Amino acid sequence: MTLLGIAWRNIRQRALTSGLTALSLALGVALVVATLVTGGLVKQAFESGSGLGYNMIVGAKGSPLQLVLNSVYFISRPIENISWNFYQEFLPAIERPDGEDGRFAASTATAVPICMGDYYRSHRVVGTNAAFFSRLKRGNGEPYHFASGANFTDDDFFGGVIGASVARTLGLKVGDPFAPTHGADDGAMHDPFYVRGILARTDTPIDRGVFVNMEGFYLQEGHAKPLPEGAVAEESSSQDAGDAAVGPPRVDGQLDPLPYAQREVTAILLETASLPGLPPELTSMGLRTTINEGREGQAALPIAEIRQLLDLFVKPLELLLLLVTTLVVIVSAIGILVSMVGSSLERSRDVAVMRALGARRAHVLATVLFEAILLAGFGGLAGWTLGHGIVAAIGPWITTNAGVSATIFSGSWAEALLVPFLVVLAIAAALIPAIAAYRTDVAKWLHGG
Amino acid sequence: MAAPVIQLEHVRKRFALPGGEAVPVLDIDSFTMAAGEQCALEGQSGSGKSTLLHVISGIMRPDAGRVVIDGVDLTRLPEARRDRVRADKLGLVFQQFNLLPGFTALENVLVAMSFGSDKADRWRATDLLAAVGLTDRLHHKPAELSIGQQQRVAVARALANKPRVILADEPTASIDPAHQQQVIDLLKNTCAEHDVALLVVTHAPEVAGQFPRRVRLEDFNRAARAGASA
Repeated sequence: MTLLGIAWRNIRQRALTSGLTALSLALGVALVVATLVTGGLVKQAFESGSGLGYNMIVGAKGSPLQLVLNSVYFISRPIENISWNFYQEFLPAIERPDGEDGRFAASTATAVPICMGDYYRSHRVVGTNAAFFSRLKRGNGEPYHFASGANFTDDDFFGGVIGASVARTLGLKVGDPFAPTHGADDGAMHDPFYVRGILARTDTPIDRGVFVNMEGFYLQEGHAKPLPEGAVAEESSSQDAGDAAVGPPRVDGQLDPLPYAQREVTAILLETASLPGLPPELTSMGLRTTINEGREGQAALPIAEIRQLLDLFVKPLELLLLLVTTLVVIVSAIGILVSMVGSSLERSRDVAVMRALGARRAHVLATVLFEAILLAGFGGLAGWTLGHGIVAAIGPWITTNAGVSATIFSGSWAEALLVPFLVVLAIAAALIPAIAAYRTDVAKWLHGG
Repeated sequence: MAAPVIQLEHVRKRFALPGGEAVPVLDIDSFTMAAGEQCALEGQSGSGKSTLLHVISGIMRPDAGRVVIDGVDLTRLPEARRDRVRADKLGLVFQQFNLLPGFTALENVLVAMSFGSDKADRWRATDLLAAVGLTDRLHHKPAELSIGQQQRVAVARALANKPRVILADEPTASIDPAHQQQVIDLLKNTCAEHDVALLVVTHAPEVAGQFPRRVRLEDFNRAARAGASA
């Protein structure tokens, strides 16, 4: 019989105490694992937005963090809208009705507008154009892939694209209609859009988004900016008559598009260009300064905002989790110590018998340490399994709300250290009873203690 | 005469009292036992019988003198080596049997084997238990065995590592008279069968009288004589 076998028999002999110790360990470890994994997923959710495929967001004046949270993560509320004219300042001549470059066109490689404010069954609806998926890249530099169907086209006013999580959660397929609601889930129902494409999973907030052609979006009730009285007259005084009614060219088979004058956008996702002789960073810094000094809107650098968010919120959260983890593991180790010290009287007699049978002091020391290792190992592994079970159970909720995949296999690097750390602590805790066993007075205990 | 398996020469052992005074417990010029010999060791309570067994088994080291077991001088060995000699050459049977309560009869024998030089042999452990009539009790824990059965397990465990000597400390003291004779017969017959020397400590004259050699500790332990006369 090996020393490990003897240790296992000793554990079984004190089945109730050992079982309760292992159970408390398991519950502690399960709590730690579930917390670590969930914390890791939260971090992953934020970090997944740090590679975006665009480097600047332009929106209404206000909190840049709110602008980023709303535009990148689809959380928080939109600040306000910015004017269509301001958006057009980022467009090159070819995309503008007046045939001239916008003020910021030279600094802009890609400008994609987004319009927000609608929902489809608790998912954010984003009005945009086809460039969102055709010109912007994913954060990793890869283009967007479609699991089924394809991107909508700009002349398909009621086309839409949905994220992987939305498709899975709501069971939508290509061709299915969906009717967003205005402002909230219980808001007024808009006209139906049709799913043209379902994105492949990106593990980013995009998975939770419902994207519709903004031409169709603008045509919905409450989405057209009311023209102030006399606006037409003012426009007429400076431009050709009827400019207020100017909009994109009419598309056969579609409704009349909303005139430009009645349009607003929530934000513009910008990929800045490199100006000749200037590094890209300087271009974006210069553009940002110029925009922020103006009155029309603000420019936020999402990576800087996300980094600040991580530093301010996620890193302290991680530190807190680490502290909780350490405390739980230490409490678990103390549990082992209490359990083993509690049974040391019972053990002393057995140790004396084993020593009389020829066991060396090192044998009894090792046996006690093996008991601790087995308790910590089994308790730790049971807890680890339970923790992942908890993550798997709440996985769908995490996936829906954070846009990251949470399964029984979701893990954190800290977990790999958890059980070994627990075992080392258990050994440290067991040293006291182990040394007591090592020093057992054999003669005394063989004669009745 | 066969070569001695137990040889004590000028063994002295003292215990320190809480006040610091040292009380002599063993003061033995010579004591030997030959291979296969069976001997009853009598003595009054406090005469040092248990201490003598602890010194012979290497659990305690004498303050002076030599303790030689089957040619190995225990007094020159460090504790770990004495433990190994105890595991390999000595089998101990205790007054309270001292079986490990969480282990089955078979496991109690296997545990003893695991401390010896030879690899633990499940078949041999089974054979030893079968030899003491416990074939159908291999997987029973001590609490599920009768007193007599527990004593049989203790005897089988003492034989686990093919010892040269079995030291039995009052093996009949805590069992009823009906079982006492069974235990003595078991020890004597088993030791004779395995050619193992047997030293039984007892204070019962009817037990001591059944052994071919019968010694009183007071006769060769000067410390016991001094204590008795004090």
